[in-house]
Amino acid sequence: MQTFYFAIVILALLAIVFGAILGFASIRFKVVGDPIVDQIDKLLPQTQCGQCGHPGCKPYAQAIANGEAINHCPPGGEATIKALADLLDLEAIPLDAEHGSEAIRTIAYIREDECIGCTKCIQACPVDAILGAAKQMHTVIIDECTGCDLCLDPCPVDCIDMIPIEVTPVNWHWQQPEQLIATSSSPYSHGAPDHA
Amino acid sequence: MRKTWNFHGGVHPLENKTQSNQLPIVVMPAPKQLVLPLSQHMGKAGKAVVKPGDYVFKGQLIASAQGFVSANIHAPSSGYVSALEERTLPHQSALSGPCIVIDTDGKDQWGDLNPTIDPKLLSKSDLLYLIQAAGITGMGGAGFPGAVKLQPKSSIHTLIINAAECEPYITADDRLMREYADQIISGIQLVQQLLDQPQCLIGIEDNKPEAIAALNHALNQHMNIEVCVIETKYPSGGEKQLIEILTGQQVPNEGIPADIGIVCQNVGTVKAVFDAIVLGQPLITRITTVTGKAAVNAGNYEVLIGTKVADVLAFAKVDLIKTSRLVMGGPMMGFTIQDTQTPIIKSSNCILAAADLELATVADHHSCIRCGLCEVACPAELLPQQLFWFAKAEEFEKAQDHNLSDCIECGACAWVCPSQIPLVQYYRYAKGRIKALNNETQLAELSRMRFETREQRLVDEKSAKEEKRKLRATAAAAAQAAKRAANPTSADPIAAALARVNKRKQEQQTATTPKSPEEVYKELKTAAAITRTKLNKTSKALTDAKAQDHEQAAGLQETVIALTTKAAVAQAKLHAYETKLGLDPEKEKILQVSVAKANGTIRQLEKILATAADPKRIEADILNAKATHEAATQALADHQTNLTKKPTSAQES
Ligand code: SF4
Ligand code: SF4
Ligand code: SF4
Ligand code: SF4
Repeated sequence: MQTFYFAIVILALLAIVFGAILGFASIRFKVVGDPIVDQIDKLLPQTQCGQCGHPGCKPYAQAIANGEAINHCPPGGEATIKALADLLDLEAIPLDAEHGSEAIRTIAYIREDECIGCTKCIQACPVDAILGAAKQMHTVIIDECTGCDLCLDPCPVDCIDMIPIEVTPVNWHWQQPEQLIATSSSPYSHGAPDHA
Repeated sequence: MRKTWNFHGGVHPLENKTQSNQLPIVVMPAPKQLVLPLSQHMGKAGKAVVKPGDYVFKGQLIASAQGFVSANIHAPSSGYVSALEERTLPHQSALSGPCIVIDTDGKDQWGDLNPTIDPKLLSKSDLLYLIQAAGITGMGGAGFPGAVKLQPKSSIHTLIINAAECEPYITADDRLMREYADQIISGIQLVQQLLDQPQCLIGIEDNKPEAIAALNHALNQHMNIEVCVIETKYPSGGEKQLIEILTGQQVPNEGIPADIGIVCQNVGTVKAVFDAIVLGQPLITRITTVTGKAAVNAGNYEVLIGTKVADVLAFAKVDLIKTSRLVMGGPMMGFTIQDTQTPIIKSSNCILAAADLELATVADHHSCIRCGLCEVACPAELLPQQLFWFAKAEEFEKAQDHNLSDCIECGACAWVCPSQIPLVQYYRYAKGRIKALNNETQLAELSRMRFETREQRLVDEKSAKEEKRKLRATAAAAAQAAKRAANPTSADPIAAALARVNKRKQEQQTATTPKSPEEVYKELKTAAAITRTKLNKTSKALTDAKAQDHEQAAGLQETVIALTTKAAVAQAKLHAYETKLGLDPEKEKILQVSVAKANGTIRQLEKILATAADPKRIEADILNAKATHEAATQALADHQTNLTKKPTSAQES
């Protein structure tokens, strides 16, 4: 009987000690901020284009955390939807066409001799990718432009074009080999088992 | 004999070396045109320092390195720069890129050369400078700028010279060693000098007995250099594989050889180092193997960098009709070229003109039968089968977890695959996508940061404005309080202000001093002008609105009508006042005009006077005109005084 009480006391003590440790840890190592919003934000393409109906990716991340559908971001497309579905344990749904369709990535290009230096595009650019000053020619920092095309509309002389990113030997990469019919045999296949 | 180790896997494809290694290297004369891509190496492209029309000497710098990982480019022969334009690059993508085109003049005239008489006296930085200046890049495979590897951060105990040349068909290094063994050894000694005299191991496969003999012959006992003969097995010439064979050490994942105190250089590269330092010649030629069943004169050729593949093929008498596939590089790691106008670059070690059936074509492939042969063959100890599934399913993260980045794309797995799956192509695809995705994530991270800083900036600006406004308000309040304190009688500022306003109103009302007639006249004039402009503006707005079918048009219409009457009233008032004053603006205008006219006549006459033949007569004319002017001025003045007098009298009456 004594051993029985002894065991209970030991277990109770252990429970108290571990409880205290856990309690301390939860306060001491508290994660600040809203990790889920940040995690969602990480998966969004950060184009900041507002096509999702929010003024930027972070607000949309917040909205997703609050239950909005995950298929409202056209720049991210299927890949983003899939990643979001994985993260939130939801089903991947097709892109909502109401918000736009997936397009190739472009960047803004200002035809500099036509720019009148009105600074309107600077104010529109969500990532400060445009350089210029009043009455001076403006230009886009290509490495920082997200291709959101928000600067297009405000330009009073329509001197901004969206151009697709050029393929160069630096950013070129191989495509996946063509998927051939697995059973078709080649005249040169040396000894490959023909399992047609 | 030194102990050597073995690496995992590897394959034994047919060597096919004897077709090309029998004859001595043939120097190919300078072709008519040379095409030099600005980017022949890994890293940043060079920047052209010549322009079309310039004459260049052989060996003259034509493009300078941009940054640390970049390389200079020199003119391989003398001639005129004919263009700076986009040309097809010798690259897997077959894309084009900026090139310098030189039309050679056939003189092959060297510019100034600066050979070093006694290289032993050179300091490390001098050596490095000379290597960098000569534009030396790795001549084995990837073409990494040579000087980068030669200034490692850690100390180096072993220099490994890669002479394995394990890829089938290629014999460029073999022939180079047979014919230039002394120069190679001197080049090695220079590199040793640069790296604080590490021991040097030359790794060479046992299928090159003549080259081994030549190297041993060039060596003498006192040198800290050893020729290590290794078993012929593909890919023993892979950098990591060769290091494992010769030292038993493995380069860590995603690490570089310098991390374990080793530097690896290709034989061709050390020969180029010799040329650069001892002869003072920049890297402008290389040995290229031309081989394959379609090549009649298969062999090794010393070609100028920038020579077009078509010229090389013609020189080696390649039967283009027989050629079914042209490969730059070897059959295992090379790539097919379509455009024979692409040039030979610093890293082009072989052109393989394969006849039908010589190389396995891009065959239809079968399903993976999970035989596991690929895993046995992989020298990087990867799981090619798994990597294949991941690449195919686009599960790039998993592929990365399985160390896809360690794959050297040697093609051993694809070579053994009985289902002939183009495994390497899948890996290349996956690697490319991973790189692109990483790039995108980086960009996204950057834009996220920029977006957030901008948001923060906007918020800050707003709050700063608010702050300023508040400050101004409190300052004003304080000033008020101070004023009140100084002037205690006006206890209530509002009451005081009201009192002030009232007072002013009264003053205005009681202001008995009547306005002078001029003032009244002026006021009326302004009122008429204002109403007129208002009317004009609104009617213009009205026509615009009408043109655009705007809903505001009706409202505007009413305003216009109201304004029209207002304007008419103002005009009438003005007119009435004018008549009351006996003013006659018309007459005044006429008088003004006559004054101006007289003035003009005088001027004109004065001008004529300067050049006139009979000045007397003109002088008389001028006097006349002056008189007229005086009269007119007088009339105008009379009219105006009348004006001022009359209203006063009118007022009085
Ligand atoms: S739609 Fe545009 S703003 Fe919205 S999450 Fe996607 S990229 Fe960001
Ligand atoms: S430059 Fe134009 S397209 Fe590019 S990020 Fe700024 S607003 Fe968007
Ligand atoms: S050798 Fe080819 S078929 Fe066999 S497991 Fe590897 S990939 Fe699959
Ligand atoms: S290509 Fe890559 S996976 Fe295939 S054998 Fe070579 S290193 Fe291994």
